[in-house]
Amino acid sequence: MLKRLRESKSAQGTLLALPTTVWLFVLLIIPLILTAVVSFGKRSPDGNVIYTFTLDNYIRLFGYSTNCASGQAACFDPLYVNILLRSLSLAFNTTVLVISLAYPLAYFIARSHPKQRNTYLFMVLIPLWTNFVIRVYAWMMLLRKEGAINIIIGWVMNLLHIPFTPLEMLYTPGAVLVGMVYEFLPFMILPIYTSLEKIDLSLYEAAADLGANSIKTFLRVTLPLSMPGVVAGTILVFIPVMGTFIVSDILGGRQVILVGNLIQRQFLDARDPTFGSAASLILMVMTLIVTYFYTRKFGFGEEIVVA
Amino acid sequence: MNKNNLFKLLALLIIASLALSACGGGGSATQSTGEQKVTSTGFVCPEPEVPITATSKELNLFVWTEYIPPDMQECFELVSGIKVNRDEYSANEEMYAKLSAGGSSYDLVQPTDYIVSLMIRQGLLQELDHAKLPNLKNYNPDYLNFAFDPGNKYTVPYLAGTDSIVYNADIVINPPKSWADLWKPEYAGKMVFLDDSRAVIGLTLLTLGYDVNTKDPTQLEEAKVKLAELVPSIKIFDSDSPKTSLIAGDVALGMTWTGEAFLAQQEVPSITYVYPTEGAIIWQDNWAMPKDAPHADAAYAFLNYTMQANIFWMILRDFPYTMTNQAVLDFAKGNQMKVSDYNGNETTLSALYDAYMASPITNTPVEAIQNAHRIDDVGDALPIYDQIWTEVKGGQ
Repeated sequence: MLKRLRESKSAQGTLLALPTTVWLFVLLIIPLILTAVVSFGKRSPDGNVIYTFTLDNYIRLFGYSTNCASGQAACFDPLYVNILLRSLSLAFNTTVLVISLAYPLAYFIARSHPKQRNTYLFMVLIPLWTNFVIRVYAWMMLLRKEGAINIIIGWVMNLLHIPFTPLEMLYTPGAVLVGMVYEFLPFMILPIYTSLEKIDLSLYEAAADLGANSIKTFLRVTLPLSMPGVVAGTILVFIPVMGTFIVSDILGGRQVILVGNLIQRQFLDARDPTFGSAASLILMVMTLIVTYFYTRKFGFGEEIVVA
Repeated sequence: MNKNNLFKLLALLIIASLALSACGGGGSATQSTGEQKVTSTGFVCPEPEVPITATSKELNLFVWTEYIPPDMQECFELVSGIKVNRDEYSANEEMYAKLSAGGSSYDLVQPTDYIVSLMIRQGLLQELDHAKLPNLKNYNPDYLNFAFDPGNKYTVPYLAGTDSIVYNADIVINPPKSWADLWKPEYAGKMVFLDDSRAVIGLTLLTLGYDVNTKDPTQLEEAKVKLAELVPSIKIFDSDSPKTSLIAGDVALGMTWTGEAFLAQQEVPSITYVYPTEGAIIWQDNWAMPKDAPHADAAYAFLNYTMQANIFWMILRDFPYTMTNQAVLDFAKGNQMKVSDYNGNETTLSALYDAYMASPITNTPVEAIQNAHRIDDVGDALPIYDQIWTEVKGGQ
């Protein structure tokens, strides 16, 4: 048996993949199947799962309602669909903003002197050493009415003798967006940097020889060659942002419910694991669909592996 | 980043983490000097009134965050020789989810009233043997024998409190007197509310004259419409630390609970707590023992010891909630024992007692208690409450 193993390449491959496969099966596939099973169940009055087969949770999620204001037997209630759309648009806005901030920075780092590059990359990574939630709380200190930003603006305005009322920045949708962009910026910078850094410099010489100006060189050479990095970064940013709710809870004052809040509430406050499971699966499916079409259009981000 | 530098970076990280973990290993400064048992803050622990006969060497607590005085836990460890392991939660639902999943090895938990009946029904708790809890006599009967646990078969009180209206008198010119007042346009955008669906929907039901625990869909529908008008005026929903935004001046009024209001008032004296005309929401946190508690004997020892007046008085110093233990109040009254208050200033136990008794926040007036409403589990109607919450917050 050992001898066969030594000779057979495919058997070696199987053996090497075994630990990961078992790991994924136990901690990903089985929980996923359980989630699916629970999502077709019913909630008992005390919040336990009654195992049966009903599509009620999905029907409720997609807005079929028998509790209509206009007296019809059934109508469309967009409550949960709206929550999904809101999360989707927040994720979209965050990703677009992150790309537009990360790209120039990554470009700058990739074009800087090799000796300085590591210092810059190091600076990008340092904030990640601090816990995610603590960094969000730090933004609270900056944005609040009596926070650092208002104090500094107030001080400057005072010097200029301009009357100043502190800006209301914390607990607004803008604060949520700022927090989200801040949290996910490094995950975009690194893959874009990696793909920019790999570009062969002789390609620029060739572009210059052929008479391309700097704008044309960027559009025809740099941008296409760095797209794998942008795609990889988008996947790394978009997917987690879809399910995140801590930033919006802390900086947005919990005024809105995102799909992440919705799911969490089902398992805690509402004690309705069946509806929570259905919502989790729908979130997963929706994210997969968006990612699928995105990667089909732009190719799969091989830079994930490199980053 | 080239390979060489990457390795250097990794090496640096590993060294840094080793250095950090080495620092983490420092022991506590606790010592027992001869006869006397002294905590690391210098408090001399009183002897147990009920002799400790427990054979367990450990006790696993699952309690609210920031709710057990450190001296109290340390003294129990010193006098009993039992090691206390403490896990914390910040919502009853979190604790319930963990316990109902099974396999947890907690000896004592601290459920609030409304979740106690559910836990009893679900068979998560074991009956307490009152013969093993002689110090139960220390409690004020007003805090015993509630509908959620008649005869205290499963629970003993810990601390009590209310959810009520709070405002900063320096900023709010016309203070609110009722829950209904909070709908006034002049308060819009200046309010903090607890992120607690049952309490907020409950107070809305009260303004309509309905019961806080109603299961009637038409009443709930009415409450939803009314609450939807209020939600845009609420700037922050915060159940973790509502006092922070009040103290920082981000908001001027809202609803909060006893301890938060008291601490906010310590910082900003103009912060005032009022009991609304419709009645505040009243609650009580309790000790309970999970069905499969592995160290029940240690749990009984802990309960008896911490129920002692000469231990539980620390609550007056550390956690300004409503005291359920009458013996503590009798012990503290006129007691000239030197203690330090919340801000670390020297004072006496007697002064803490006077501050407690004088504050309507902690020493809830009798009328306010009689007028108050207690949240209860609503079973089948809970998803309706959740849907209302989602709708009023999601409808923007």
